[in-house]
Amino acid sequence: MSIEISGLNYVYMEGSPFEKQALKNVSLSIADGEFVGIIGHTGSGKSTLIQHLNGLLKPSSGTITIGGEDITAKGADMKKLRQKVGLVFQYPEHQLFEETVYKDISYGPKNMNLPQDEIDERVQEAMHHVGLSEKYMNRSPFELSGGQKRRVAIAGVLAMRPDVLILDEPAAGLDPAGREEILTQIRALYLERKMTVLFVSHSMEDVARIAGRIIVMNKGAVALDGKPADIFAQADALRAMGLDVPQITELICELRRRGIRFDNSIYTIEKAKATIQLMLAGKNAGGDKPC
Amino acid sequence: MLNDITLGQYFPINSPIHRLDPRTKLLLLVLLIVAIFLADSALTCGLVTLLTLTIALLSRVSLKTYIRGLKPILFVIIFTAILNIFLTTGTKIELFGYQTPITVEGLILAGKMALRLVLLIFASSALTYTTSPIALTDGIEKLLSPFAKLGLPTFELAMMMSIAIRFIPTLIEETDKIMKAQKARGADFESGSLIRRVKALAPMLIPLFISAFRRADDLAVAMESRCYQGGSLRTRLNEIHFAGIDLIAACIFLVVFAAVMVLRFFL
Repeated sequence: MSIEISGLNYVYMEGSPFEKQALKNVSLSIADGEFVGIIGHTGSGKSTLIQHLNGLLKPSSGTITIGGEDITAKGADMKKLRQKVGLVFQYPEHQLFEETVYKDISYGPKNMNLPQDEIDERVQEAMHHVGLSEKYMNRSPFELSGGQKRRVAIAGVLAMRPDVLILDEPAAGLDPAGREEILTQIRALYLERKMTVLFVSHSMEDVARIAGRIIVMNKGAVALDGKPADIFAQADALRAMGLDVPQITELICELRRRGIRFDNSIYTIEKAKATIQLMLAGKNAGGDKPC
Repeated sequence: MLNDITLGQYFPINSPIHRLDPRTKLLLLVLLIVAIFLADSALTCGLVTLLTLTIALLSRVSLKTYIRGLKPILFVIIFTAILNIFLTTGTKIELFGYQTPITVEGLILAGKMALRLVLLIFASSALTYTTSPIALTDGIEKLLSPFAKLGLPTFELAMMMSIAIRFIPTLIEETDKIMKAQKARGADFESGSLIRRVKALAPMLIPLFISAFRRADDLAVAMESRCYQGGSLRTRLNEIHFAGIDLIAACIFLVVFAAVMVLRFFL
């Protein structure tokens, strides 16, 4: 499902002494089936932007069209929209409330008034997607580990079978293994279900690994927008916005500074490894622009 | 939707009223409230009105904000006014040749009661608008400190109050977040019968309670790991002091208070 945002402005607490413009004239167009990473410093407007996409915040001005439907129009069906656009908040495990994992995941489908067998099927499917074995179904979500809780919460959104999946820092606060697993599962889910995915993070490593396109937000506006290779090539611009380039890009930059000729579009460890192996075998890896 | 709640209601600006010591403001507020309820004649009513409005203007918070503060008790003001108009005995007013149940005395009394309630709200709003919650609890603690000798745990009370106040915005934020998250899962807090709506609150209240307990636990551990101990041996970051401006304010209030007392009881 495609997303069109045009001229979006959002002002927090309008008319009070605490007024703050959180989004400034944001225009974006996201095609069906894209995997977009949204990065930005704290307070750059990432979270505000994604909350607009399923109608939790109403724009001060501007329009948003999702799948051909104007969701900012008066009388737009919010319930329908929220089934199409699944939003996983930061630390989603803080929203768990039911007695069992099954009941918690089925909360969304139940609100959609689905028949019982359909709910069962969706819960099982969602648990499978996040890699939770069925033996957890009747356990209390509160006795699970942090990573497992996170998965139950993500499954709760997946059970609504959204066409667009938005995740706000889905790996925040997890240990490296848990982080790895969640990211792999999201990637697999994207490939399997062919959904449009928006992935908000401030970890460059994560975004570099799984997104096909990166949008950089700064001070409420879109600062950069393009392929990961193009974005990470602008290391100085990113640093000026308080962001870091992935460590591997940093290393490549340093090597280039010391006169080794590297392609500057390397931003994953796999690619760097392959390139270095090629170079060690005596071939030119190309690229001679300054970093 | 929760943005509308301006709890604490403190406006962080600078004005003569902001600069007063919180103790001065608390004590003078009590004095002013007594004066407002003793004021009876046109002259004394005018005097307390003048004083209250002067404070409101000096606080540099817009009068509109003060008037907005009346909203929650508008019903009470109107209700008491209506009761007073119709239920006071006295000279009945004749209108178009008919005798109405409205009395002259009733109208005057209704006007006086309404004025008192409005002034009361204005005066107490002036305190909360110009005093940060922390300064307020500091002030209350200092004022209560003589009772500590009698065994009143003033320090602990003040600490509990500051912590409670400190967590109000946090919990509002948390509520907002949880509500949004459940709405994203199709929750509906706004429609259906009363029972349905109360039931719909569970997905919001349970996570809210869990997070409140978690925060309380974290805070207790954080305080204990820094060797927190209550009591009189603690020093504070911001000491409060009386200054010249407090003396001036006290003098003005005492003059008005004395004038109201004299006019009310001796003339």
